[in-house]
Amino acid sequence: MAAATYPPPPPYHRLYKDYSENPNSAPEPPPPIEGIYVCFGGNYTTEDVLPSLEEQGVPQLYPKDSNVDYKKELRSLNRELQLHILELADVLVERPSQYAKRIGEISSIFKNLHHLLNSLRPHQARATLIHIMEHQILQRKQAVEDIKRRREEAQRLLKDAFVTLDGQ
Amino acid sequence: MDIISQLQEQVNTIAAITFNAFGTLQRDAPPVQLSPNYPEPPATTTATDDATAFPEQPKQLSADLVKAAKQFDALVAALPLSEGGEEAQLKRIAELQVENDLIGQELQKQLEAAETELKQVQELFGHAADNCLNMKKPE
Repeated sequence: MAAATYPPPPPYHRLYKDYSENPNSAPEPPPPIEGIYVCFGGNYTTEDVLPSLEEQGVPQLYPKDSNVDYKKELRSLNRELQLHILELADVLVERPSQYAKRIGEISSIFKNLHHLLNSLRPHQARATLIHIMEHQILQRKQAVEDIKRRREEAQRLLKDAFVTLDGQ
Repeated sequence: MDIISQLQEQVNTIAAITFNAFGTLQRDAPPVQLSPNYPEPPATTTATDDATAFPEQPKQLSADLVKAAKQFDALVAALPLSEGGEEAQLKRIAELQVENDLIGQELQKQLEAAETELKQVQELFGHAADNCLNMKKPE
């Protein structure tokens, strides 16, 4: 069986032949992509946003509000989950054929939990940014103090040197 | 690991314990009589071994599940959620940016002044060294 060689690299390098003499004769790099693009047959979007639960077809179990109390909702979802697991154990003993509905409810609770946790990530990103900026401001203040101190020290040494020289 | 990742891991652990628990119980349960019409299920030869270990399994598995759930609650309590939401955070970021710019400018000023002084001192040192060399009598 004959094996084919790899295809040659694309011939774009010929366009850049005179780049050292005239940088404008070569084509510009392609601009950044915006919106939706297709890669290997899949559609990807450039906007990173968490899709809401309704778009994924999952019922939203916690109240939809602009300021959700995350701790309370996470705790109540946890308790709901435990109750549903107990119900599932019960159903498996009494009426084994009805397990599918319970499993659907349990998986919907898990999806809600993960969605809540994912929606905490932007908050975490902003908090990290605040922390880094405060740290940087502290470092800059310390650097300013350091430089001031060293300059004064240098001035003092110079003055002492002059005094010594004059005294001679 | 940061706390949100820990919470996510804990949710996955709870899910894993749940399906492992049900799977193990379903796999290892001894046969049970479904209706009085059918005869008693025959006791298998390993019945004695199962009889000791088997009732322990649901207890252990449920203890694991409850422990995992309590761990999740503890992690939720440890969430450092500052009140104020998105707008307060954005306002704070803007304030910090302004302060950062101010102190950046001051740092730049100090740095430039220090560099000029360094150049002056280096020049002085050069002169002094030259004079020293010129005054030195060759041996």
